[in-house]
Amino acid sequence: MSSNSIKTWLLSAAIACSITLHAQSKPNAEEGKKLYEANNCGSCHALDKKVVGPALRGVQTRRSNEWLVKWIRNNEQFRKVDKDPDAIALYNDFGGAAMNIFTNLTPEQVLNIVEYIKTAPEPKKDVPANTNKTDEPADNSSTIYILLLLVLVFSSVLLVLSKVKNTLKRVEAEKNGESEDSNKSKKGFFEKILPGDLGKRNPIVLTLFTIAIVGGFLAYVGFKFSITEVGVQKGYAPKQPIAYSHKLHAGDLKIDCKYCHSTVEESKQASIPSLNTCMNCHKGVQLTDKYNGEISPEIKKIYAALDYNPEAKPGEEYGKNPKPIKWVRIHNLPDHAYFNHSQHVKVGKLQCQSCHGPIEKMEVVQQYSTLQMGWCIDCHRNANVDVENNNYYKALHEKVKADKSGKYLTADGKIRVTPAMNGGLECSKCHY
Amino acid sequence: MSSNIKYWKGEEELSRDPKFLAAQKNEFQEDLPLDEIFSDSGVELQSNRRDFLKYFGFSVTAVALAACYKTQVRHAVPYLVKPEDVTPGVANYYRSTCGACSSACGIEVKVREGRPIKIDGNPDSVISKGGSCAVGQASILSLYDTERLANPTVNGSENSDWTAIDSEVASKLKSIASANGKIVILSNSIHSPSTLKSIEAFKAAYPTTEHVMFDAVSYAGILEANEADFGKRVIPTYHFDKAKVIVSFAADFLGTWISPVEFTKGYSPNRIPSKDGMSKHIQFESNLSTTGTNADYRFPMKTSQEALYLASLYNAIASAAGAKQIAVAQQGELAGNAIKKTADALLAAKGASLVVSGSNEVENQKIVNAINMLLGNYNATINLNNYSKQYQGSDKKTAEVLAGLQNGSVQGVIFYNTNPVYNLGKDAWSEAIKKAKVSISLASTKDETASACQYVMPDSHFLESWNDAEPKLGVYQFTQPTIGHVFNTRQAQWTLLSLANAVPAVEKDPLAAKGIFSQKFTSSPYYLFIKNNWSATLSNDEAFNAALEQGMLAVGDMTPAAPSYAGDVSTLATFVTNASKSSGLDLVLYQATGVRDGAHGNNPWLHEMPDPVSKVSWDNYVAVPKSLAVKMNLSDGDTVNVKLGDVVYNNVPALVQPGQANGTVSLALGYGRTHAGKVGGSVDKGYASVGVNAYPFVTSIAGNRKYVISGVEITKGDETYALAQTQTHHSIEGRDIVRESNFEAWKSNPKAGNDKPKTHVYTVWEKAEYRKDGAPNHLWAMAIDLNACTGCGTCVVSCSIENNVPVVGRDEIRLRREMHWIRIDRYYAFNSKNESVTREKEISKIDSSDNGEYSHWENVSVIHQPMMCQHCAQAPCETVCPVLATTHSSEGLNQMTYNRCIGTKYCGNNCPYKVRRFNWFRYNDNDNFDFHFNNPLGKMVINPDVTVRTRGVMEKCSFCVQRIQEGKLKAKREGKSPNEVEVKTACMKACPANAIVFGDLHNPESEVSKLYKNERGFTVLEELNVQSSVMYMTKIRNTDNV
Repeated sequence: MSSNSIKTWLLSAAIACSITLHAQSKPNAEEGKKLYEANNCGSCHALDKKVVGPALRGVQTRRSNEWLVKWIRNNEQFRKVDKDPDAIALYNDFGGAAMNIFTNLTPEQVLNIVEYIKTAPEPKKDVPANTNKTDEPADNSSTIYILLLLVLVFSSVLLVLSKVKNTLKRVEAEKNGESEDSNKSKKGFFEKILPGDLGKRNPIVLTLFTIAIVGGFLAYVGFKFSITEVGVQKGYAPKQPIAYSHKLHAGDLKIDCKYCHSTVEESKQASIPSLNTCMNCHKGVQLTDKYNGEISPEIKKIYAALDYNPEAKPGEEYGKNPKPIKWVRIHNLPDHAYFNHSQHVKVGKLQCQSCHGPIEKMEVVQQYSTLQMGWCIDCHRNANVDVENNNYYKALHEKVKADKSGKYLTADGKIRVTPAMNGGLECSKCHY
Repeated sequence: MSSNIKYWKGEEELSRDPKFLAAQKNEFQEDLPLDEIFSDSGVELQSNRRDFLKYFGFSVTAVALAACYKTQVRHAVPYLVKPEDVTPGVANYYRSTCGACSSACGIEVKVREGRPIKIDGNPDSVISKGGSCAVGQASILSLYDTERLANPTVNGSENSDWTAIDSEVASKLKSIASANGKIVILSNSIHSPSTLKSIEAFKAAYPTTEHVMFDAVSYAGILEANEADFGKRVIPTYHFDKAKVIVSFAADFLGTWISPVEFTKGYSPNRIPSKDGMSKHIQFESNLSTTGTNADYRFPMKTSQEALYLASLYNAIASAAGAKQIAVAQQGELAGNAIKKTADALLAAKGASLVVSGSNEVENQKIVNAINMLLGNYNATINLNNYSKQYQGSDKKTAEVLAGLQNGSVQGVIFYNTNPVYNLGKDAWSEAIKKAKVSISLASTKDETASACQYVMPDSHFLESWNDAEPKLGVYQFTQPTIGHVFNTRQAQWTLLSLANAVPAVEKDPLAAKGIFSQKFTSSPYYLFIKNNWSATLSNDEAFNAALEQGMLAVGDMTPAAPSYAGDVSTLATFVTNASKSSGLDLVLYQATGVRDGAHGNNPWLHEMPDPVSKVSWDNYVAVPKSLAVKMNLSDGDTVNVKLGDVVYNNVPALVQPGQANGTVSLALGYGRTHAGKVGGSVDKGYASVGVNAYPFVTSIAGNRKYVISGVEITKGDETYALAQTQTHHSIEGRDIVRESNFEAWKSNPKAGNDKPKTHVYTVWEKAEYRKDGAPNHLWAMAIDLNACTGCGTCVVSCSIENNVPVVGRDEIRLRREMHWIRIDRYYAFNSKNESVTREKEISKIDSSDNGEYSHWENVSVIHQPMMCQHCAQAPCETVCPVLATTHSSEGLNQMTYNRCIGTKYCGNNCPYKVRRFNWFRYNDNDNFDFHFNNPLGKMVINPDVTVRTRGVMEKCSFCVQRIQEGKLKAKREGKSPNEVEVKTACMKACPANAIVFGDLHNPESEVSKLYKNERGFTVLEELNVQSSVMYMTKIRNTDNV
């Protein structure tokens, strides 16, 4: 070993020691909090409440630091090899549910966690109640539509009124015996408002011209902003009875969509999972660590719906008054349109995101696509049917392979069959 | 050969009635009755400019305001705990047993998200063999009838507390039994072993109890004849499938007699001509029945003289067999050479023939037994070993119950599935019931009898119940619930057990007790009772569940064996002689194929279904023969007064019925309900009865009820009444629509009757790519065998259920606005004296040369032709639609897109088959159409895969495209080849005759492809070159060559 490398080794050892010494000298609560969260302590423990494991507050007063380090790092060894009587008693108190082993933590890190527990703030007593807002679809487009219509109605009322006024004036004038000469010298409407000779043209032509321009403009505006958008609820993100986060579940935790939407490959509906699916995890996962030892209020709603009491004796957890959850339906197809999830997911092998957008990033789910017929058709014109790997399409595949016209080939010579080529645009594929 | 036969649908068409001709010209009979509608509200339609501006302004504002309406928030409510076998959006099928009548057909119930939405036959069932009937199909709607009793009632007031009622009733029954007073359970025919056992348990608790069975329409005649002749009071099993010659005397075995689905399943396959032959069917009857329309030879018979016909036939056969004759003073030949012809045919098919009679007279049935005995049919076509248990009722015992109630010896009475106050006419029963100390009805609605009882302890619907059945000796089927209880009802068996304090202790389902949805219906103690009952055969849960899954137990050997016969008909000479003297006009009371005995009187689907023969819906009527009509100057729309003894009905609608035997009139039973509900009629709620109740005409002879009564008096009524008759609504102008020939001709030329020269078609169009052989797509098509179709109407009801077709009611049908997507066209043709009649002139010539007998009107032959959208490859409707709402698919379907349709009705106008229906109203939420579709419970039966159409669109048969798509998707998901796609349309699946076959023409192995090569095949109106996708098979009759 060269002297150089020895030096380096010594140096780094010294630095490491100093850091450790520093840490040992003063456990860091902030570090401890990070470790507490990173190791998911909260999934079994709460600070002020017995959950799966005991409540942690004041643990430093109940046990020595040494004991805690041994227990937390490897409670099994502590119980079985060291045969610590306290450890065995604790194990038995909790019905033989063993704590996980955390040999990945250094003793110093354990002490950091203990420090965090010691310094963690007391829970506040008053948790503000959740305020429920009404769930209405955001259909902004209709507002513009209504406004435009009102403008139109009011301007026609104005027009009629001015006309009435004029008529009255004329009648009055006739009564007063004003001569017709004065009428003759009167200027036409267009003459008054248009400069130069323009106003002297045929008033009918001018009226039609004006109507054409104004009408064309209105039609354009209407078409662009409202008519095609009436009833389209793209972006509709109503508040749901439970603030379920797809970002957390599908995004961060990477739970497969089909775990909850289990019927998506066999049914027309992907179906909202029944609560027993939620309970597969949330019987244990209560996020007490995030809510000062209380069960998360959102998870509590699941329990309330099932009338489930986590603290009741085994066999008596479920009460007699369950209330199903009324989720707000986001994607609403009209009755005359038939859509089948299994056709698209199982047969068409589409990803959920193709229609539902980046669902794994949505804290609150919103309607990502317009769900208009044009949107369906676009996809049916462009998507690729996997004719090669499904026996059902065997005959079609043969035909496509034998086809010489090239209409089934992409630019780079691969076979391409869109749903449209296989009758996917026909009415009764979706309307019956 | 027979191509010059003149077919006609109704007399108005035949006689070129000017009203008919005018109506026929228009696709839609009437303009919108706007004047009428607006005159009520004081608005004149003659509007001026000011009115126009007012309405215009109002409409614009209204539309603007309506547009401001906020989009509705919709909710989705998932299960709390999802039952394992329920997948939202996917149907489950459960096998069960139909409880609509005593036949006990095996059924398969389609259940979506926990609610049954469709009933079809169980292919493994010995009874139904996968078929079904209109009544069974429609019975699903009575599950969702809001007029079922929601709670038990005590003296008319509801009381939801079963326990309290139980103890009250039980104590009263106890006091009767302990004082040795008699208690009677009057039920329909029960063949369920477990139900019988629960009645036994009741009897054990109340030893003075007697159980009496009573059938709304009696079969006591057959039962008693068999008891006398063979020592068994049973109805035998009839094997129509094994009979080469079938002779029926007024037995409507394809429509209503005993077990029509079972008989149709046996009968129809033999009606298809093949090298092995074809069965021959001879029918003698007065009223033209569904069965009669299918006969090769149909002889009009005055039914009161049936004994004479039977005796003559017996004598003819006996003389050939050298047996003893019935000494009857013979008076010439009956009905031409009918008897001789029949006897010859029967003798030629000894041991493979079958003679049945619909008579309820013991003596008639004894002669029938003797004939079958002489022919050796008891070894082959009639099975007395595995006899039927479907009907066992006794008229005599029922009469004793009435007498007992009247004289006070019967103090407690329980009615289970019976309605004697209605079925036995007049007021005797309702008054007698009031004399009982305790009267209990187990009916599920407040029917006529229940209204007279102190207690109503409502039974559950059969789709909510557990049960078993033994329709034939040794044939066991099971009933399982397909839904929880809709109302606070309780199975009758449970009620009986609970009154007897014999309810087995039920282990509580832990989830159900906590209110969480539980699929286990084990909480019914009757389930345990059945399971205990079956513990010897089905010892464990697996075996029991396997039987439930099958819907039945495996059936053992069912070969018939010759029974010992103790009958002697030669003693019946006096009876026959007396019968032959019957004089006066016969009144024949029969069951209509849809409404039957009237038990389903509140079911609008059954009322809306046109009668298979007369095509009348929503009423019964007096069917009169032409000769009588001419004599009385009656025509359709007139009414008659019917008088028999002290029973008088005035102004009953009359109908001139071709085929009605001279000297007879007929009237359907099952109508005129007074306590059915808002559809069938309810006195309490103020809804008029549908039709008149014919049961009071039934007379009793030697203790048995008699449905054919001589000496009825008929006079012309003062009023007129328009029957809602659909027969000529879709007239097709006398074109060549149906084809027929006979068996002899077919044998020498399979194209007989179908050998018209093909119209040469000039076309500029190339054959579409998708229609070419070998194209990789499906090509859907249908084949309908006119020989198999009996016209029963099951497909009509099945289609309505599957496709959410609304019921429109009597008034709309009168305006030709029925909505059925499939109709069965019934064509009459004269075949008097073996001559086919071609021209109207010739018809009038026969009319005048007939001495007022009009015998050719008695002798009509009939063809039934189911008609639905033909999915023409070159459809005339598609080219006229201005908005492309009806287009063609690359699978050969004529697609109807409701959301595009703007209701111009051009397509309906241009359709040569008249199969398009315009939706005139929003039937589903409209209280003017109070047929269960306007309430949330009735809507439960809606098929969620099919759009509920709104007013203003055209609709028509889609070839059940939802089923096609479902079948294709299943194959795609499973990677199966297109040839493995299995799709059955609703009509095909329901058909008990296998007359309708649907499939893929591009699959050479499919049944429909094979039928398309059949020489009998023709398409209707081929000459129009619309290239229809429905191939019909020429009707072949097994008649002699003309």
